[in-house]
Amino acid sequence: MSLQPPRDKRVSLAEAVALVRDDAIVALGGGLSARLPMALVRELIRQGRRGLHLVGSAHSIDVDMLVAVGAVRRCEESYVGFEQDLGLAPAYRRAAEEGSIEVAESCCVSMLAQLRAAEMGLPFLPVRGVRGSDIAALHPEYATITCPFTGEVLIAVPALRPDVALLHAPSGDRYGNLHLEQPYVLDERFASASRVVIATVDELVSTEEVVASGVTIPAHLVTAVVLAPFGAHPTSCYPRYAYDHGHLREYVSAAQSGPDDFEKFLATYVCGSEESYLTAVGAERLSTLADWSRSTADWQELFR
Amino acid sequence: MSWTIDEWFVVALARTIRPRETVFHGFGSPCAQVAMHVARRTHAPEMVLIEGATYAINPDPPFIPPTSNDASLSRGAAYSMRFEEFFDAAIRGDVDRMFLSGGQIDVFGNTNVTAIGPVGRPKVKLGGGGGGCNLSATIGHLTLWTTRHRSGHTLVETCDFITDIGHRTPLGTRAELGFTGGGPQWLVTEMGVFEFRDGRARLVQIFPDVSLAEVRAATGFPLEAAGDLRAVRPPSAGELAAVRSVDPLEVRKSEFSPRELARVFEPAAGQDCAC
Repeated sequence: MSLQPPRDKRVSLAEAVALVRDDAIVALGGGLSARLPMALVRELIRQGRRGLHLVGSAHSIDVDMLVAVGAVRRCEESYVGFEQDLGLAPAYRRAAEEGSIEVAESCCVSMLAQLRAAEMGLPFLPVRGVRGSDIAALHPEYATITCPFTGEVLIAVPALRPDVALLHAPSGDRYGNLHLEQPYVLDERFASASRVVIATVDELVSTEEVVASGVTIPAHLVTAVVLAPFGAHPTSCYPRYAYDHGHLREYVSAAQSGPDDFEKFLATYVCGSEESYLTAVGAERLSTLADWSRSTADWQELFR
Repeated sequence: MSWTIDEWFVVALARTIRPRETVFHGFGSPCAQVAMHVARRTHAPEMVLIEGATYAINPDPPFIPPTSNDASLSRGAAYSMRFEEFFDAAIRGDVDRMFLSGGQIDVFGNTNVTAIGPVGRPKVKLGGGGGGCNLSATIGHLTLWTTRHRSGHTLVETCDFITDIGHRTPLGTRAELGFTGGGPQWLVTEMGVFEFRDGRARLVQIFPDVSLAEVRAATGFPLEAAGDLRAVRPPSAGELAAVRSVDPLEVRKSEFSPRELARVFEPAAGQDCAC
Protein backbone atom coordinates (compact mmCIF):
# COMPACT_ATOMS: atom_id res chain seq x y z
CA MET A 1 0.00 0.00 0.00
CA SER A 2 1.41 3.38 -0.90
CA LEU A 3 1.14 6.45 1.27
CA GLN A 4 -2.24 8.16 1.34
CA PRO A 5 -2.54 11.12 -1.07
CA PRO A 6 -4.14 14.24 0.42
CA ARG A 7 -7.93 14.08 0.35
CA ASP A 8 -10.84 14.78 2.63
CA LYS A 9 -11.04 11.57 4.68
CA ARG A 10 -14.01 12.42 6.88
CA VAL A 11 -16.50 9.58 7.09
CA SER A 12 -19.19 8.54 9.55
CA LEU A 13 -18.37 6.22 12.42
CA ALA A 14 -20.42 3.44 10.78
CA GLU A 15 -18.59 3.86 7.45
CA ALA A 16 -15.20 3.81 9.15
CA VAL A 17 -15.94 0.66 11.14
CA ALA A 18 -17.26 -1.05 8.00
CA LEU A 19 -13.58 -1.09 6.91
CA VAL A 20 -12.90 -3.62 9.70
CA ARG A 21 -13.64 -7.15 8.51
CA ASP A 22 -14.53 -10.17 10.64
CA ASP A 23 -11.34 -12.06 11.60
CA ALA A 24 -9.17 -8.94 11.08
CA ILE A 25 -5.98 -8.27 13.02
CA VAL A 26 -6.95 -5.09 14.89
CA ALA A 27 -4.40 -2.83 16.61
CA LEU A 28 -5.85 -0.81 19.48
CA GLY A 29 -4.28 2.57 20.18
CA GLY A 30 -3.78 4.21 23.55
CA GLY A 31 -3.15 2.20 26.69
CA LEU A 32 -4.57 1.32 30.11
CA SER A 33 -6.90 4.19 31.04
CA ALA A 34 -5.68 6.67 28.42
CA ARG A 35 -6.95 7.44 24.93
CA LEU A 36 -8.46 4.05 24.11
CA PRO A 37 -10.48 4.16 20.85
CA MET A 38 -13.77 3.56 22.66
CA ALA A 39 -16.20 5.09 20.13
CA LEU A 40 -14.74 2.71 17.52
CA VAL A 41 -14.95 -0.21 19.95
CA ARG A 42 -18.60 0.55 20.67
CA GLU A 43 -19.35 0.73 16.94
CA LEU A 44 -17.60 -2.63 16.36
CA ILE A 45 -20.02 -4.06 18.92
CA ARG A 46 -23.04 -2.40 17.24
CA GLN A 47 -22.00 -3.86 13.90
CA GLY A 48 -21.55 -7.33 15.43
CA ARG A 49 -17.98 -7.92 14.33
CA ARG A 50 -16.63 -11.44 15.09
CA GLY A 51 -13.38 -13.36 15.15
CA LEU A 52 -11.09 -10.40 15.81
CA HIS A 53 -7.41 -10.84 16.60
CA LEU A 54 -6.57 -7.94 18.91
CA VAL A 55 -3.02 -6.67 19.30
CA GLY A 56 -1.67 -3.97 21.59
CA SER A 57 0.39 -3.22 24.66
CA ALA A 58 -1.43 -2.73 27.99
CA HIS A 59 -5.19 -2.42 27.66
CA SER A 60 -8.36 -2.47 29.71
CA ILE A 61 -12.05 -1.80 28.94
CA ASP A 62 -11.58 -1.83 25.15
CA VAL A 63 -10.38 -5.43 25.02
CA ASP A 64 -12.60 -6.54 27.87
CA MET A 65 -15.79 -5.22 26.31
CA LEU A 66 -15.02 -6.76 22.90
CA VAL A 67 -14.30 -10.09 24.59
CA ALA A 68 -17.51 -9.78 26.62
CA VAL A 69 -19.68 -9.60 23.49
CA GLY A 70 -17.89 -12.50 21.80
CA ALA A 71 -16.20 -10.39 19.12
CA VAL A 72 -12.70 -11.74 19.81
CA ARG A 73 -10.93 -14.92 18.74
CA ARG A 74 -7.36 -14.13 19.85
CA CYS A 75 -5.88 -11.69 22.37
CA GLU A 76 -2.28 -10.60 21.84
CA GLU A 77 -1.70 -7.81 24.34
CA SER A 78 0.97 -7.49 26.99
CA TYR A 79 -1.65 -6.87 29.69
CA VAL A 80 -5.42 -6.66 30.00
CA GLY A 81 -6.81 -5.33 33.26
CA PHE A 82 -7.63 -2.34 35.42
CA GLU A 83 -4.39 -2.19 37.45
CA GLN A 84 -4.74 -1.96 41.23
CA ASP A 85 -7.46 0.56 40.48
CA LEU A 86 -10.31 -1.87 39.64
CA GLY A 87 -8.47 -5.15 39.38
CA LEU A 88 -8.66 -8.01 36.89
CA ALA A 89 -10.55 -7.64 33.61
CA PRO A 90 -13.76 -9.62 34.23
CA ALA A 91 -14.70 -10.79 30.73
CA TYR A 92 -11.12 -11.37 29.56
CA ARG A 93 -10.41 -13.37 32.67
CA ARG A 94 -13.59 -15.45 32.30
CA ALA A 95 -13.02 -16.14 28.60
CA ALA A 96 -9.40 -17.15 29.22
CA GLU A 97 -10.44 -19.46 32.05
CA GLU A 98 -13.20 -21.06 29.95
CA GLY A 99 -10.89 -21.36 26.96
CA SER A 100 -13.23 -19.39 24.69
CA ILE A 101 -10.47 -17.03 23.50
CA GLU A 102 -6.91 -17.78 22.46
CA VAL A 103 -4.56 -16.11 24.93
CA ALA A 104 -1.41 -15.12 23.06
CA GLU A 105 -0.12 -12.83 25.79
CA SER A 106 2.75 -10.76 24.44
CA CYS A 107 5.38 -8.37 25.77
CA CYS A 108 5.67 -4.65 25.03
CA VAL A 109 9.21 -5.09 23.71
CA SER A 110 8.35 -8.01 21.40
CA MET A 111 5.26 -6.20 20.09
CA LEU A 112 7.36 -3.09 19.41
CA ALA A 113 10.00 -5.15 17.55
CA GLN A 114 7.31 -6.87 15.45
CA LEU A 115 5.79 -3.54 14.44
CA ARG A 116 9.17 -2.05 13.64
CA ALA A 117 9.97 -5.03 11.41
CA ALA A 118 6.72 -4.39 9.51
CA GLU A 119 7.54 -0.67 9.27
CA MET A 120 10.94 -1.50 7.80
CA GLY A 121 9.63 -4.16 5.43
CA LEU A 122 11.76 -6.79 7.19
CA PRO A 123 10.54 -10.31 7.98
CA PHE A 124 11.63 -10.24 11.65
CA LEU A 125 13.70 -8.55 14.31
CA PRO A 126 15.60 -10.18 17.19
CA VAL A 127 14.99 -9.57 20.90
CA ARG A 128 17.27 -10.51 23.77
CA GLY A 129 14.68 -11.57 26.37
CA VAL A 130 11.76 -14.00 26.20
CA ARG A 131 14.04 -17.10 26.35
CA GLY A 132 13.32 -18.96 29.54
CA SER A 133 9.97 -17.23 29.92
CA ASP A 134 6.83 -19.28 29.28
CA ILE A 135 5.59 -16.39 27.13
CA ALA A 136 7.66 -18.05 24.37
CA ALA A 137 5.41 -21.14 24.54
CA LEU A 138 2.36 -18.98 23.72
CA HIS A 139 4.02 -17.96 20.44
CA PRO A 140 4.93 -20.89 18.19
CA GLU A 141 5.58 -18.25 15.51
CA TYR A 142 8.72 -17.08 17.34
CA ALA A 143 12.04 -18.72 16.48
CA THR A 144 15.58 -18.75 17.85
CA ILE A 145 18.36 -17.26 15.75
CA THR A 146 22.13 -17.16 16.11
CA CYS A 147 23.73 -13.79 15.45
CA PRO A 148 26.15 -14.18 12.51
CA PHE A 149 28.54 -11.63 14.06
CA THR A 150 28.62 -12.46 17.79
CA GLY A 151 27.21 -15.97 17.98
CA GLU A 152 24.59 -14.84 20.51
CA VAL A 153 21.36 -16.82 20.52
CA LEU A 154 18.37 -14.50 20.34
CA ILE A 155 14.63 -14.78 19.78
CA ALA A 156 13.38 -13.74 16.33
CA VAL A 157 9.89 -12.23 16.35
CA PRO A 158 8.08 -12.00 13.00
CA ALA A 159 6.89 -8.74 11.44
CA LEU A 160 3.38 -7.83 12.54
CA ARG A 161 1.25 -5.94 10.06
CA PRO A 162 -2.20 -5.25 11.55
CA ASP A 163 -5.07 -5.15 9.06
CA VAL A 164 -6.39 -2.05 10.75
CA ALA A 165 -5.32 0.35 13.49
CA LEU A 166 -8.00 2.08 15.59
CA LEU A 167 -6.73 5.33 17.10
CA HIS A 168 -8.21 8.23 19.01
CA ALA A 169 -6.76 11.76 19.03
CA PRO A 170 -7.85 14.95 20.78
CA SER A 171 -7.71 16.84 17.50
CA GLY A 172 -7.05 16.41 13.81
CA ASP A 173 -7.89 17.88 10.43
CA ARG A 174 -10.06 16.48 7.64
CA TYR A 175 -7.00 15.05 5.87
CA GLY A 176 -6.00 12.95 8.86
CA ASN A 177 -3.19 14.98 10.39
CA LEU A 178 -3.50 14.08 14.07
CA HIS A 179 -2.28 15.80 17.19
CA LEU A 180 -1.78 13.57 20.25
CA GLU A 181 -0.64 14.33 23.77
CA GLN A 182 1.81 12.02 25.52
CA PRO A 183 1.80 9.14 26.16
CA TYR A 184 1.57 8.20 22.49
CA VAL A 185 1.98 4.54 23.49
CA LEU A 186 2.22 2.52 20.23
CA ASP A 187 -0.03 4.77 18.13
CA GLU A 188 2.76 6.07 15.91
CA ARG A 189 4.07 2.56 15.29
CA PHE A 190 0.59 1.21 14.60
CA ALA A 191 -0.04 4.05 12.15
CA SER A 192 2.93 3.16 9.97
CA ALA A 193 2.76 -0.63 10.36
CA SER A 194 -0.97 -1.13 9.68
CA ARG A 195 -2.70 -1.52 6.30
CA VAL A 196 -5.64 0.71 7.24
CA VAL A 197 -5.62 3.45 9.89
CA ILE A 198 -8.90 4.77 11.30
CA ALA A 199 -8.83 7.74 13.66
CA THR A 200 -11.56 9.31 15.73
CA VAL A 201 -11.00 12.87 16.93
CA ASP A 202 -12.67 14.85 19.69
CA GLU A 203 -12.46 17.92 17.52
CA LEU A 204 -11.94 18.56 13.82
CA VAL A 205 -9.73 21.59 13.32
CA SER A 206 -8.05 23.38 10.43
CA THR A 207 -4.70 22.19 9.14
CA GLU A 208 -3.15 25.42 10.47
CA GLU A 209 -4.44 24.61 13.95
CA VAL A 210 -3.23 21.03 14.01
CA VAL A 211 0.16 22.14 12.71
CA ALA A 212 0.33 24.74 15.49
CA SER A 213 -0.45 22.03 18.09
CA GLY A 214 2.06 19.69 16.47
CA VAL A 215 1.30 16.83 14.07
CA THR A 216 2.03 13.52 15.81
CA ILE A 217 0.63 11.23 13.11
CA PRO A 218 0.66 12.62 9.55
CA ALA A 219 -2.22 12.45 7.07
CA HIS A 220 -0.28 10.25 4.65
CA LEU A 221 -0.62 7.34 7.11
CA VAL A 222 -4.33 7.80 7.84
CA THR A 223 -7.19 6.21 5.89
CA ALA A 224 -10.29 7.64 7.54
CA VAL A 225 -11.15 10.36 10.07
CA VAL A 226 -14.28 10.42 12.20
CA LEU A 227 -15.49 13.22 14.44
CA ALA A 228 -16.34 11.60 17.78
CA PRO A 229 -16.50 13.98 20.75
CA PHE A 230 -15.51 12.17 23.96
CA GLY A 231 -14.53 9.31 21.68
CA ALA A 232 -12.11 7.92 24.27
CA HIS A 233 -14.59 8.09 27.17
CA PRO A 234 -14.54 6.50 29.77
CA THR A 235 -10.76 6.65 29.35
CA SER A 236 -8.89 9.94 29.40
CA CYS A 237 -7.92 12.12 26.47
CA TYR A 238 -5.83 14.93 27.87
CA PRO A 239 -5.89 17.88 27.64
CA ARG A 240 -9.62 17.52 26.97
CA TYR A 241 -10.88 15.20 29.68
CA ALA A 242 -9.76 12.96 32.51
CA TYR A 243 -10.88 9.35 32.84
CA ASP A 244 -14.27 8.49 34.28
CA HIS A 245 -13.59 6.36 37.31
CA GLY A 246 -17.28 5.97 38.17
CA HIS A 247 -18.18 4.74 34.70
CA LEU A 248 -15.28 2.27 34.66
CA ARG A 249 -16.40 0.97 38.04
CA GLU A 250 -19.94 0.59 36.70
CA TYR A 251 -18.62 -1.36 33.72
CA VAL A 252 -16.43 -3.67 35.82
CA SER A 253 -19.27 -4.35 38.20
CA ALA A 254 -21.71 -5.14 35.34
CA ALA A 255 -19.18 -7.38 33.59
CA GLN A 256 -18.44 -9.22 36.84
CA SER A 257 -21.98 -9.84 37.90
CA GLY A 258 -23.29 -11.81 34.96
CA PRO A 259 -25.18 -11.69 31.66
CA ASP A 260 -28.26 -9.80 32.87
CA ASP A 261 -26.40 -6.85 34.32
CA PHE A 262 -24.03 -6.79 31.38
CA GLU A 263 -26.90 -6.80 28.84
CA LYS A 264 -28.43 -3.93 30.75
CA PHE A 265 -25.14 -2.04 30.60
CA LEU A 266 -24.93 -2.64 26.83
CA ALA A 267 -28.54 -1.56 26.32
CA THR A 268 -28.02 1.61 28.35
CA TYR A 269 -24.73 2.70 26.86
CA VAL A 270 -23.66 0.85 23.74
CA CYS A 271 -26.54 -0.43 21.66
CA GLY A 272 -27.87 2.92 20.45
CA SER A 273 -25.40 5.42 18.99
CA GLU A 274 -22.60 7.69 20.17
CA GLU A 275 -25.18 10.44 20.61
CA SER A 276 -27.28 8.26 22.89
CA TYR A 277 -24.10 7.13 24.67
CA LEU A 278 -23.17 10.70 25.58
CA THR A 279 -26.74 11.41 26.68
CA ALA A 280 -26.71 8.31 28.90
CA VAL A 281 -23.38 9.29 30.47
CA GLY A 282 -24.80 12.77 31.04
CA ALA A 283 -23.65 16.26 30.18
CA GLU A 284 -22.95 17.09 33.80
CA ARG A 285 -20.57 14.15 34.23
CA LEU A 286 -18.80 14.95 30.97
CA SER A 287 -18.27 18.57 31.90
CA THR A 288 -16.84 17.54 35.28
CA LEU A 289 -14.28 15.38 33.46
CA ALA A 290 -13.51 18.21 31.04
CA ASP A 291 -12.97 20.60 33.98
CA TRP A 292 -10.15 18.49 35.42
CA SER A 293 -7.67 21.37 35.22
CA ARG A 294 -9.70 23.83 37.27
CA SER A 295 -7.75 22.99 40.41
CA THR A 296 -5.52 20.23 41.74
CA ALA A 297 -8.19 19.44 44.33
CA ASP A 298 -10.86 18.98 41.63
CA TRP A 299 -8.50 16.83 39.59
CA GLN A 300 -7.56 14.66 42.54
CA GLU A 301 -11.23 14.23 43.43
CA LEU A 302 -11.86 12.48 40.09
CA PHE A 303 -9.74 9.52 41.25
CA ARG A 304 -11.57 8.73 44.48
CA MET B 1 4.41 9.35 66.03
CA SER B 2 3.15 6.01 64.74
CA TRP B 3 3.17 4.50 61.26
CA THR B 4 1.43 1.70 59.39
CA ILE B 5 2.75 -1.27 57.43
CA ASP B 6 1.97 0.25 54.03
CA GLU B 7 4.13 3.26 54.91
CA TRP B 8 6.97 1.15 56.25
CA PHE B 9 6.78 -1.24 53.31
CA VAL B 10 7.06 1.59 50.79
CA VAL B 11 10.07 2.95 52.70
CA ALA B 12 11.71 -0.50 52.62
CA LEU B 13 11.18 -0.60 48.85
CA ALA B 14 12.55 2.94 48.45
CA ARG B 15 15.76 1.97 50.27
CA THR B 16 16.60 -0.57 47.55
CA ILE B 17 17.23 2.38 45.21
CA ARG B 18 20.81 3.62 45.18
CA PRO B 19 21.66 7.30 44.68
CA ARG B 20 22.00 8.30 41.00
CA GLU B 21 20.35 5.15 39.64
CA THR B 22 17.96 5.24 36.67
CA VAL B 23 14.84 3.52 37.96
CA PHE B 24 11.55 2.36 36.43
CA HIS B 25 8.38 0.80 37.79
CA GLY B 26 5.82 -1.18 35.83
CA PHE B 27 2.21 -0.04 35.59
CA GLY B 28 -0.30 -1.14 38.20
CA SER B 29 2.38 -0.91 40.88
CA PRO B 30 1.33 1.74 43.41
CA CYS B 31 3.79 0.73 46.15
CA ALA B 32 6.78 0.78 43.80
CA GLN B 33 5.60 4.00 42.26
CA VAL B 34 5.26 5.76 45.61
CA ALA B 35 8.60 4.27 46.72
CA MET B 36 10.43 5.80 43.77
CA HIS B 37 9.12 9.27 44.57
CA VAL B 38 9.97 8.77 48.26
CA ALA B 39 13.55 7.80 47.34
CA ARG B 40 13.88 10.86 45.11
CA ARG B 41 12.69 13.11 47.94
CA THR B 42 14.95 11.51 50.56
CA HIS B 43 18.21 9.66 49.93
CA ALA B 44 18.34 9.69 46.10
CA PRO B 45 17.66 13.25 44.90
CA GLU B 46 19.89 12.69 41.88
CA MET B 47 18.20 9.54 40.63
CA VAL B 48 16.59 9.42 37.19
CA LEU B 49 12.99 8.45 37.88
CA ILE B 50 11.07 7.11 34.87
CA GLU B 51 7.32 6.85 35.35
CA GLY B 52 5.79 3.48 34.53
CA ALA B 53 3.44 4.33 31.70
CA THR B 54 3.93 8.01 30.89
CA TYR B 55 7.71 7.50 30.73
CA ALA B 56 8.07 11.01 32.19
CA ILE B 57 11.54 11.77 33.53
CA ASN B 58 11.63 13.09 37.10
CA PRO B 59 8.08 14.44 37.27
CA ASP B 60 6.66 16.02 40.43
CA PRO B 61 3.09 14.70 40.40
CA PRO B 62 0.61 16.59 42.60
CA PHE B 63 -0.71 13.17 43.72
CA ILE B 64 -0.31 9.55 42.63
CA PRO B 65 -3.46 8.43 40.80
CA PRO B 66 -4.64 4.80 40.86
CA THR B 67 -3.91 4.41 37.13
CA SER B 68 -0.40 4.66 35.72
CA ASN B 69 -0.69 6.62 32.53
CA ASP B 70 -2.52 9.65 33.80
CA ALA B 71 -1.26 13.12 32.90
CA SER B 72 -0.76 13.90 36.60
CA LEU B 73 2.28 11.60 36.41
CA SER B 74 3.95 13.81 33.82
CA ARG B 75 3.48 17.07 35.75
CA GLY B 76 6.70 18.95 36.26
CA ALA B 77 8.70 16.75 33.90
CA ALA B 78 10.70 18.60 31.24
CA TYR B 79 10.46 15.54 29.02
CA SER B 80 8.51 12.33 28.63
CA MET B 81 10.09 9.53 26.63
CA ARG B 82 8.25 7.90 23.82
CA PHE B 83 7.29 4.26 24.39
CA GLU B 84 10.12 3.12 22.13
CA GLU B 85 12.68 5.48 23.68
CA PHE B 86 12.09 3.94 27.07
CA PHE B 87 12.15 0.33 25.89
CA ASP B 88 15.26 0.94 23.77
CA ALA B 89 17.06 2.42 26.79
CA ALA B 90 16.03 -0.55 28.91
CA ILE B 91 17.05 -3.27 26.48
CA ARG B 92 20.41 -1.69 25.69
CA GLY B 93 21.20 -1.60 29.42
CA ASP B 94 20.71 2.05 30.35
CA VAL B 95 18.14 1.40 33.09
CA ASP B 96 19.68 0.39 36.42
CA ARG B 97 16.67 -0.87 38.32
CA MET B 98 13.10 -1.97 37.82
CA PHE B 99 10.43 -2.97 40.30
CA LEU B 100 8.54 -6.18 39.50
CA SER B 101 5.84 -8.04 41.38
CA GLY B 102 4.01 -11.30 40.78
CA GLY B 103 1.07 -13.45 41.76
CA GLN B 104 3.74 -16.11 42.26
CA ILE B 105 7.47 -15.68 42.94
CA ASP B 106 9.96 -18.54 43.30
CA VAL B 107 13.29 -18.81 45.12
CA PHE B 108 15.22 -17.80 41.96
CA GLY B 109 13.11 -14.67 41.56
CA ASN B 110 11.11 -15.87 38.57
CA THR B 111 7.69 -14.23 38.67
CA ASN B 112 4.28 -15.17 37.33
CA VAL B 113 1.84 -12.43 36.37
CA THR B 114 0.15 -14.45 33.62
CA ALA B 115 -1.92 -17.32 35.01
CA ILE B 116 -2.48 -19.45 38.11
CA GLY B 117 -2.95 -23.06 37.02
CA PRO B 118 -2.33 -24.37 33.49
CA VAL B 119 -2.21 -21.45 31.06
CA GLY B 120 -4.52 -23.22 28.57
CA ARG B 121 -7.32 -23.45 31.14
CA PRO B 122 -6.16 -21.31 34.06
CA LYS B 123 -7.75 -21.23 37.49
CA VAL B 124 -7.11 -17.47 37.49
CA LYS B 125 -6.05 -15.48 34.45
CA LEU B 126 -3.93 -12.62 35.73
CA GLY B 127 -3.47 -9.39 33.80
CA GLY B 128 -0.16 -10.09 32.11
CA GLY B 129 3.43 -8.98 32.21
CA GLY B 130 3.66 -5.75 30.21
CA GLY B 131 7.27 -5.53 29.10
CA GLY B 132 8.69 -7.78 31.82
CA CYS B 133 9.75 -10.87 29.87
CA ASN B 134 12.25 -8.79 27.91
CA LEU B 135 13.04 -6.10 30.49
CA SER B 136 13.93 -8.65 33.18
CA ALA B 137 16.69 -9.87 30.83
CA THR B 138 18.50 -6.56 30.41
CA ILE B 139 17.74 -4.12 33.24
CA GLY B 140 20.64 -3.74 35.70
CA HIS B 141 18.92 -4.96 38.87
CA LEU B 142 15.41 -5.95 39.85
CA THR B 143 13.64 -5.19 43.10
CA LEU B 144 10.81 -7.69 43.47
CA TRP B 145 7.96 -7.15 45.89
CA THR B 146 4.73 -8.65 47.09
CA THR B 147 2.21 -7.61 49.73
CA ARG B 148 0.65 -11.11 49.76
CA HIS B 149 3.43 -13.22 51.28
CA ARG B 150 1.30 -14.22 54.29
CA SER B 151 -1.32 -15.82 52.00
CA GLY B 152 1.06 -18.75 51.55
CA HIS B 153 0.28 -18.81 47.83
CA THR B 154 2.71 -16.16 46.60
CA LEU B 155 6.23 -17.35 47.43
CA VAL B 156 6.10 -20.75 45.78
CA GLU B 157 8.34 -23.73 45.11
CA THR B 158 7.60 -23.50 41.37
CA CYS B 159 5.73 -20.84 39.40
CA ASP B 160 2.82 -22.23 37.35
CA PHE B 161 4.01 -19.95 34.56
CA ILE B 162 7.23 -17.94 34.31
CA THR B 163 6.46 -14.50 32.92
CA ASP B 164 9.52 -12.52 34.06
CA ILE B 165 12.88 -14.13 34.46
CA GLY B 166 14.87 -14.49 37.66
CA HIS B 167 18.29 -16.04 38.19
CA ARG B 168 17.53 -19.49 36.80
CA THR B 169 14.77 -21.05 34.73
CA PRO B 170 14.35 -24.65 33.51
CA LEU B 171 16.16 -23.46 30.34
CA GLY B 172 19.24 -22.36 32.25
CA THR B 173 20.90 -19.57 34.19
CA ARG B 174 20.90 -15.95 33.11
CA ALA B 175 24.45 -16.33 31.81
CA GLU B 176 23.45 -19.38 29.79
CA LEU B 177 20.48 -17.47 28.38
CA GLY B 178 22.73 -14.59 27.34
CA PHE B 179 21.04 -12.01 29.54
CA THR B 180 22.92 -8.77 30.16
CA GLY B 181 21.07 -7.59 33.29
CA GLY B 182 21.87 -8.67 36.83
CA GLY B 183 18.46 -10.08 37.74
CA PRO B 184 16.64 -9.90 41.08
CA GLN B 185 18.60 -8.24 43.88
CA TRP B 186 15.91 -7.73 46.52
CA LEU B 187 12.53 -9.21 47.34
CA VAL B 188 10.52 -7.08 49.77
CA THR B 189 7.39 -8.56 51.34
CA GLU B 190 5.01 -7.44 54.06
CA MET B 191 6.79 -9.94 56.33
CA GLY B 192 10.43 -9.15 55.61
CA VAL B 193 13.20 -8.43 53.15
CA PHE B 194 15.10 -11.04 51.12
CA GLU B 195 18.30 -10.49 49.21
CA PHE B 196 19.48 -12.73 46.41
CA ARG B 197 22.80 -14.43 47.01
CA ASP B 198 24.16 -16.99 44.55
CA GLY B 199 20.89 -16.60 42.69
CA ARG B 200 18.59 -17.60 45.57
CA ALA B 201 16.39 -15.55 47.88
CA ARG B 202 17.61 -15.37 51.49
CA LEU B 203 15.75 -13.60 54.31
CA VAL B 204 17.92 -10.82 55.75
CA GLN B 205 15.42 -8.52 57.51
CA ILE B 206 12.13 -9.15 59.24
CA PHE B 207 9.36 -6.83 60.41
CA PRO B 208 9.32 -6.81 64.23
CA ASP B 209 5.71 -8.01 64.59
CA VAL B 210 6.44 -11.13 62.48
CA SER B 211 8.20 -14.29 63.69
CA LEU B 212 10.63 -16.37 61.69
CA ALA B 213 8.24 -19.33 62.09
CA GLU B 214 5.44 -17.31 60.49
CA VAL B 215 7.67 -16.39 57.56
CA ARG B 216 8.69 -20.02 57.15
CA ALA B 217 5.07 -21.18 57.22
CA ALA B 218 4.09 -18.66 54.55
CA THR B 219 7.02 -19.47 52.24
CA GLY B 220 6.58 -22.24 49.68
CA PHE B 221 10.30 -22.74 49.08
CA PRO B 222 12.75 -23.87 51.78
CA LEU B 223 13.44 -20.71 53.75
CA GLU B 224 17.03 -19.68 54.19
CA ALA B 225 17.54 -16.94 56.78
CA ALA B 226 20.70 -14.93 57.34
CA GLY B 227 22.66 -15.72 60.50
CA ASP B 228 22.54 -12.03 61.35
CA LEU B 229 18.83 -11.64 60.57
CA ARG B 230 17.83 -8.14 61.59
CA ALA B 231 14.65 -6.17 62.13
CA VAL B 232 13.71 -3.83 59.29
CA ARG B 233 15.00 -0.40 60.23
CA PRO B 234 12.10 1.89 61.23
CA PRO B 235 11.22 4.72 58.88
CA SER B 236 12.73 8.11 59.63
CA ALA B 237 10.51 11.12 60.15
CA GLY B 238 11.67 12.39 56.76
CA GLU B 239 10.80 9.14 55.00
CA LEU B 240 7.33 9.06 56.56
CA ALA B 241 6.68 12.67 55.65
CA ALA B 242 7.70 11.91 52.07
CA VAL B 243 5.33 8.91 51.84
CA ARG B 244 2.42 10.97 53.13
CA SER B 245 3.01 13.97 50.91
CA VAL B 246 3.71 11.93 47.76
CA ASP B 247 0.60 9.81 48.12
CA PRO B 248 -2.34 11.81 49.49
CA LEU B 249 -4.84 9.42 47.84
CA GLU B 250 -3.12 6.51 49.66
CA VAL B 251 -3.09 4.39 46.50
CA ARG B 252 -0.33 2.31 48.15
CA LYS B 253 -2.94 0.81 50.49
CA SER B 254 -4.76 -0.83 47.55
CA GLU B 255 -2.07 -3.52 47.48
CA PHE B 256 -2.74 -4.70 51.06
CA SER B 257 -5.42 -6.82 52.67
CA PRO B 258 -7.43 -5.16 55.49
CA ARG B 259 -5.69 -7.45 57.99
CA GLU B 260 -2.28 -6.11 57.00
CA LEU B 261 -3.45 -2.51 57.03
CA ALA B 262 -4.33 -2.90 60.72
CA ARG B 263 -0.60 -3.25 61.53
CA VAL B 264 0.44 -0.06 63.35
CA PHE B 265 3.91 0.56 64.77
CA GLU B 266 5.28 2.87 67.46
CA PRO B 267 8.86 3.98 68.05
CA ALA B 268 10.75 1.69 70.44
CA ALA B 269 10.88 2.76 74.10
CA GLY B 270 13.38 5.54 74.64
CA GLN B 271 13.04 6.86 71.09
CA ASP B 272 11.08 10.08 70.74
CA CYS B 273 10.69 9.83 67.00
CA ALA B 274 10.79 7.30 64.22
CA CYS B 275 14.49 7.74 63.59
